This record gives sequence, structure tokens and C-alpha cells, in this order.
Amino acid sequence: MEYVKIHTIKPTATLSVGFFAFSRKISDAMSICRCIIKVIGGMYMVNFLFKRLGQFIIVLLVASVIIFILVRLSQVDPVSVILGGKQSSTETVANLRAKFGLDRPVIEQYFTWITGMLRGDFGFGYKYQQPVSELIAARIPITFGLVFIGSLTALILAIPMGVISALKQNSPIDTTLSMLALILGAAPSFLISIIMIMIVAKVAPSFPVTGNYSSFGEYLQRLSLPSLALTFSMLALASRVTRSGMIEQIQAPYVQTAKAKGVPLSRIITRHALKNAVIPLIAVISLQIGNMIVGAVLVENVFSLAGLGSLLVAGIKSSDYPIVQGITMLLVFIFLVISTLADIIYAVIDPRIRQSI
Amino acid sequence: MKKKNKLGKFFTLPVIISLSVLIVIILAVLFAAFLATHDPLALSMSESLQGPSSAHLLGTDKTGRDIFSRLLFGGRTTLLGALGVVIISVIIGIPLGLFSGYFGGKVDMVTMRISDMIVAFPSLLLAFVFVSSFGRGLMNAVVAVGIIYVPMLAKLTRSLVLVEKNKTYVEASRAIGYSHFQIIFFQILPNCISTILVQLTLDIGYAILDLAAMSFLGLGIQPPTPDWGAMLEEGRIYLSTNPLIALAPGITIIITVVAINIFSDGVQSYLDPSHRKLPSVKKIRRLVGVAHE
Repeated sequence: MEYVKIHTIKPTATLSVGFFAFSRKISDAMSICRCIIKVIGGMYMVNFLFKRLGQFIIVLLVASVIIFILVRLSQVDPVSVILGGKQSSTETVANLRAKFGLDRPVIEQYFTWITGMLRGDFGFGYKYQQPVSELIAARIPITFGLVFIGSLTALILAIPMGVISALKQNSPIDTTLSMLALILGAAPSFLISIIMIMIVAKVAPSFPVTGNYSSFGEYLQRLSLPSLALTFSMLALASRVTRSGMIEQIQAPYVQTAKAKGVPLSRIITRHALKNAVIPLIAVISLQIGNMIVGAVLVENVFSLAGLGSLLVAGIKSSDYPIVQGITMLLVFIFLVISTLADIIYAVIDPRIRQSI
Repeated sequence: MKKKNKLGKFFTLPVIISLSVLIVIILAVLFAAFLATHDPLALSMSESLQGPSSAHLLGTDKTGRDIFSRLLFGGRTTLLGALGVVIISVIIGIPLGLFSGYFGGKVDMVTMRISDMIVAFPSLLLAFVFVSSFGRGLMNAVVAVGIIYVPMLAKLTRSLVLVEKNKTYVEASRAIGYSHFQIIFFQILPNCISTILVQLTLDIGYAILDLAAMSFLGLGIQPPTPDWGAMLEEGRIYLSTNPLIALAPGITIIITVVAINIFSDGVQSYLDPSHRKLPSVKKIRRLVGVAHE
């Protein structure tokens, strides 16, 4: 067995070094990285990392092709969108085509788009006549802030909820918390936002719900309600997963041993059981962040926040393809980065994963 | 199909309540033409923005259309749309899962790669791009959301088939001479169908939410067709004055989805015997007594 293992690992490692040896500097850096990773996780970790990162790049490329093809399949002629439906001479049409690169072969258009994105140039909006990257950059803080604060709050709330539900299984507290999570999860995020606006309008009419922000304090204020709505949508699944993970841990032998030793329950939970219980939570949350990104789009609509979501919807409605392409690609990229990171964290925590990819 | 086990109780209290709620909603929506008091599309500017009254059970919206009738007819659009989403995902997803689980190898790899690509998009984003290319409207939205649900169903079916594939009855069927097609659809599929059905009921709930979200953004149903999501969007502006325009469809959505979740939870615990308690001594005695006779 050992003989076979060494012979399969060594070639892979050698191949990976050879692949990156086009420059001595890079290969030196890679060797150092490999040594560090080997110390952390062993040869399996190195292979896992290479495979996972390779998967990330391939999926990213294929996703970009899918987005590009889907957008190009549309019936609407981009030039008519640029012209805003006005009649114009064939010269103007031809000029516009050349300016936006629409007369080049499709594959060349695709490569221009991809290389442009790597340089940070997302193309030119049809309707807005501005570089798409400027439009996006202005709105990133809102959307990313929503998703970040929303998921952070969901984590902070879900873990205690799940732990308490697990400790007091089937008690009234457990059933109420589960019911609450169920109802909040069943309500669409935009509905919760609408109800929240109503309640806030009655209770604290001066709270700034809509409008622009000028300082960081106001930024947090504006984002607090929408992120709360997003939190509720994730809370249902997250607290359920923590609860079942915790129940599984409590029934494990090591907890019984600790109890027999006389370790206080609080210490068992916080120091031992919690770490094992939240491992499935990482996997679930990395998937749910995708739903949260879409939820951010909806919530931005309700709260009239100038974020990526409202720009995307406006782009779809006006058939403004560079905007749709650019924002979708960016969101897919962020989502893939987050899920790859979550997978890597999972592999660091649980060594069994490293062999399964 | 799993036979109903006398020792297990299907109609526990949560299942009864959620099932009756669902039946009420489905019947109300089916018989919308008889129950509705007004034509849902009839504009009547003189009666706009009224509160609940004897003429209009839930009030009117900004163009004078009766909210109660719009709720009933909108339920048709929403529920039929959700059903369409699930049907599309079943037609595409279950065969894909069956074939990739049974045959393995290249078919399996290709199917899993395709599902990975679809899953790489944060849920509804792919539907947004789809709708932006092929135009907005109910049909396109239903097809787009259906495609998004395919990977989940295919993975579930595949894992179930992988478990069933190694059982003796499959080997025996091959030995008798059943073709692959017959084995997959007449031997393996009936054993997997109960778990798949539970997932499908959950999927109907999610499909309702997703379709409502797309209509809310204006990417699904086009006005003036009534639909719960679109009604939410129309009523959003009038929250302080006429909250009912938005609250009526909203609360209906919540009630429907919660009922679906509770019902599928109940079905799941019924199908999973580990949750059942041991029957009382009387029952055992009765059953054993029957067997003795």
C-alpha cells in the first residue's frame, strides 16, 4: 500500500513543480509554498489545493463562456439599444458597430471581453455611455456590505440559536425557535423588508430608511435594516444545521467522557463540541451566500439602495448587455472565490476531505 | 411504493393542519372563477385605493381592481408556475440522475460537470441572464428557474440510484434478461420515488418564492396579469396608506410556503422509521392476536 502511495504522489508533485518552472523566482516561491502546505496538511493537501484551484479556474472560464453565449443569443440588436430606438443612417450604424467592436468575429469579441476584464475594463454601457467599471465600482460597497454584514449577523445569531435548540431538544424553547426560523425562512426577503419598513415607519419615523449616505455611520444605518432582512433568510437553514450538528456532537462518546470527568457543560460545549458542530455549517453557508447575493438584489430594490442589484435589473430591462455581462461575471467570480475558500478551510479542518476531490 | 404501515401515524397534528391549509388554498385557487367577486383585470378608477368593504373583500388597488379576486387568480399563475418549474426540473433532472447513477463513467462525469456549472451561478442569477436574453414573461421565467433546480434533483436521484444499484434484485433482473431501460424505470425508480417526492414538495415551495422574486423585479409575469409577486411590487408604494395591497399576497405566500414545509417535514418523518415511537402494548397484543388466529 505504502509503495503505491509514494509512487502516485511523487509524480504529481514533480509535475506541479515542473509546470511552474518557467521562471526560477516563481518556482522558488512555489517550492516554499509547497513546503509550508506540506507542513500544514501533508502531500494530500498539496494535491487537493492544486486540484481545487484548477477546478476554480476552469469553472470560472466556462461560466464566462456561458454568460457570453447567453447574452449573445438575445434577439435584440445591440445597436438599436445604443441608438435608443431612433432611426439613423447606415453610416452611423456602421460607426457604432466598429466603436463597440460588434463587427468583429464572435470569438474575438469574447477574448477582448475577457482580457479587458482582467485589466479592469468591463466595456462600455450601451445606454449609460460610461465605462461599466465606473458604474460598478461606485455600487460595490453597498452590495458587498449587505452580503457581508448579512452573513456575519446570520452566523452570530445562528450558532447560539442552534446550540440552545440542541441543548434543550424538543422543549418549548426548541419548538418556538424552530417555528420562528421556519416562518422567517419561508418569507421571501423582499416581503420581510416591506414589513420591516412598515414597522419602522410606525415606531421610529425619523429613521433614515431611504436616501443616500455620506459618512460611515450613516452607511451602517442605511444598511442595518436590509442586512437584517437578509440575515433572516439565511437564519432558518443555518440554525437548523447547527442544531443537528450540535445534537450529533452531544451524543458522541467524547462528550460523555468529559461529563463523566466532571467538566462543566459550558466548557464542554464551547471548547470541544462547538468546533466540531460548526463544520457542516461552513459548507452550508458557502452555498447559501449565493442565495444571499440574489437576496441582496431584491432587497436593494425595496430599500431603493443604489447597489449592483438595481443596476443589474435596470440593465436587463433596457437590454444593456455590457452591464449585464459585467455584473453577472463579477458576482459569479465572488461566489466562486467564496466557495473555493470555504472548501479549502473545510479541507484544513477535516483531513478526510483532502482525498475526496 | 411504500405501503402504509399500520404502526406509523401519517396524520399527525402538524400534517393535518398544514394539509388542510394547503387543500383550502388549492381549492380556492382552482375555483377562482366561481369564488372571485370581480374580474381581476377590470379597471375602475373611481374605486381605487379603497379599504376592505362589503363590495371589495380586501379593498382595491391603485387602478380599482379588486384585491381578493386578484389574489385568487394570481394564485393560479403562481401555483401553476411553481408546478411548471418542478415539472421541468423533473423531466430533465430525474432521467439525468438515473442515467448518471446507473451507468457511471463518462455519462456520470459529464452530468456532474454540467451540474457544477449551473451551481456555480448564485441561484437566480442564471435565470436573470436567461430572461434578459430571451425576454421577460412567465414561460421564460419558469423555464429558467426550472433549469436552475435540475442539479439538485439530479444529484439526489444519482445518490439514491448509487445505493440501489448494488442490491441483489438489480443483479437478478439483469440475469433474467431485463434491459437497462426496464431496470432503471421499473425497478430502481419506484424505490427511490418516495424520497424524491419529499424533495419535490419542498421544491414547489422554493419555486413559489423564486417566481415571486422574479415577478417582484419585473422579470417574470408582465402586468396586468395578476401574480402574488407582482402584487407585492405594486403594493409596495402604498404601504403606509393601504398596507393591504402588499400584505394580502405577502401573507398568502408565507402561509403557503410554511404549510408546504411543515407538510413535507411530516411526510419525511413518516417515511423515516427511526422517528417512530414503539406502539403501545395494546396494539402489539392486538396484532399478535391477529397473527395467532
